[in-house]
Amino acid sequence: MESTTEPLRVRGVEQILWIGLCLPPLLVLGFAFLYPLLASVWSSIIYEGNLSLAHYSRVYTLYRQDVVFTLGVALSGLVLVLLVGLPVCGYLRLRTFRTVEFLLKVPLFVPFVVVGHAMRVFLSPHGTLNGLLLLAGILDPQHPPSLATSWLGLAIALAWKHMGLAALLFMGAFRAVDEAYLESAQNFGAGILRQTKDILIPMAAPSIAVACVLVFASMLASFSIPLMMGRGSGPQMLMIDVYYRFGQHGDYATAGALGVVAYLMASGAAFVYLRNLGR
Amino acid sequence: MANQWFRRGLILSMALVSLAQGFVQVNAAERVTLNVVIGADVNVVDVHKTLLGPGFKEKNPGVEFNVVGTGTGEAASRAIYTKIKAQQDTNRKNWDVDVALVSMIAASQMVQEGLLYKYVPSISAAKLVTGPETKRAFGVQVDGFVVPMFHNQIAIAYNPKYVSKPPKSFEELVTWVNANPKKFAYNGIKGGVSGQGFTVGWVYWKTGQYQAFSQGPFDKGKEPLWKKALEELKEFNKNVVITSGNAGTLDQLNRGEIWMGAVWIDQLVAWKNDGRMDSSITPVLVSPGLPIYPIYMVVPREATSRDWAAKYIDYVSQPEVQAKVIVEKYGWYPGTDAARVLPLLSPKAKELLFKDVTPDDLAKYSLQMPIGEYFNAILLAYEEIVR
Repeated sequence: MESTTEPLRVRGVEQILWIGLCLPPLLVLGFAFLYPLLASVWSSIIYEGNLSLAHYSRVYTLYRQDVVFTLGVALSGLVLVLLVGLPVCGYLRLRTFRTVEFLLKVPLFVPFVVVGHAMRVFLSPHGTLNGLLLLAGILDPQHPPSLATSWLGLAIALAWKHMGLAALLFMGAFRAVDEAYLESAQNFGAGILRQTKDILIPMAAPSIAVACVLVFASMLASFSIPLMMGRGSGPQMLMIDVYYRFGQHGDYATAGALGVVAYLMASGAAFVYLRNLGR
Repeated sequence: MANQWFRRGLILSMALVSLAQGFVQVNAAERVTLNVVIGADVNVVDVHKTLLGPGFKEKNPGVEFNVVGTGTGEAASRAIYTKIKAQQDTNRKNWDVDVALVSMIAASQMVQEGLLYKYVPSISAAKLVTGPETKRAFGVQVDGFVVPMFHNQIAIAYNPKYVSKPPKSFEELVTWVNANPKKFAYNGIKGGVSGQGFTVGWVYWKTGQYQAFSQGPFDKGKEPLWKKALEELKEFNKNVVITSGNAGTLDQLNRGEIWMGAVWIDQLVAWKNDGRMDSSITPVLVSPGLPIYPIYMVVPREATSRDWAAKYIDYVSQPEVQAKVIVEKYGWYPGTDAARVLPLLSPKAKELLFKDVTPDDLAKYSLQMPIGEYFNAILLAYEEIVR
């Protein structure tokens, strides 16, 4: 006989107590996050006392290149994370290799500013990477390229930093795949790459999607790394523009408008995340 | 039973009496804590913590110091402005900032909004507070509210190994840059004020409007003038390296990646003293000139220890202190009357600071920043045109 149990429902005093328990953190969230968020959105649509999109038009005039640049760098960084992270985690799932797994998690503990500075030195024209390539005779010593200030350098630095989080999530998802599937694939002669591509990735797809969303949103909002790897001219990451707007000019309204644009970009990703949660 | 209560009452009253004594003791010895909030780099915070504060304490033992830095660049001064403004908006009585060190922009805004105490007339160093930037800052009347702690001159630094004949004017600089592409650098307008100062110097040169831009009033009709100047700057930038900030320019100069750059003289001297900079790199001022940028000491209007704050600033403004600490140790130009400070300097200090950029050069080529509206308009136009 099948017995169906109804989910337990909290009633009466217990319900009130639970609401009371949840109230303080919700209030803190509302006060420290929701209120400033709404205030900055409100300030971005007010110009000289009236509702207006003047600040957004300034964002469009001055910073539309930067919006595209930020999107591009975040997407490139994400692609790099996937290209390196997925095969490596697939290998680690199928053959245990504790050292590599540990190394993959090291970026989690390195502060953003340290990563920014390290990458700046590593990728600069007379930095470590170019020094090694020079020894190998690959570069022209008179005109060494500067990855540090280019979009590729930024993407590499962001990808390195987020590799830790991504690896954690990928490994968790891959470990949840039943061994039986992998064994049957091995019986048919599938190698490591084949098993990763055809079994691990499709079965862990929802978790991988979530990891992508988190990494993407975090890269969009990056500030310390672009600041450290700084470029004086040309397109900048959006958070640098926000910092310049309120730091130099005290222009909180345009900074708020830039923030809203960033929220919209990240919310596309967040929407995907929430839909996956419900599954 | 009564015994018990009597005993409790005795203990309680003894406790109260000893507590009360404690209160009385605290009030008897008046100890002042001066909150010094500094919107400038760590080296400035260090000066107050390690030299100026203790020096003042020697003469005034009852004073304690609480020195904090709020970061670097314009954002640091803005943080101080926000803090003081918030206290004014809530009608708080005793503000928790006694002495603030802020940039010109922040100070001019604070004076405009009535946030500052007019302390200068009451200090003995009042007659040493000379110079146009102590009267007006970005077009705002700041007379009586500010004393510059030091002056920061923007200059062009060159490497004599590669540059045999340094440029004496902007024209010569442009010729040199066109002949030596990608060997000159400044940091644009986002990384630091040295680049902003260079841009301002360029606009002054191209438009010839130094008097109008630095004195005001704001005339939007002059917009085509600075826009044209910035179009030409965009052309100039094609042969130029834009660095990430003040330190970026110095770094590249040191490594020989560039041969000339727009720098702060004090930062150059500090790096040389630290051994981080090739000591042959020399600063030079080009005509018609480059801006000077003071760091102001101000006292918030309702500061808790207003009078002690004024006394401290008085101490920092004395020629002996300026000579020994400000100039000799840190390589800054004196904030108060240079004519009184110069005779007190050692020959080494004079050489370090005044050999390449003589007081004569300073008199001729040290310019004021433009008034606030022009400054913001120029920066905005740079963002739109030069990018």
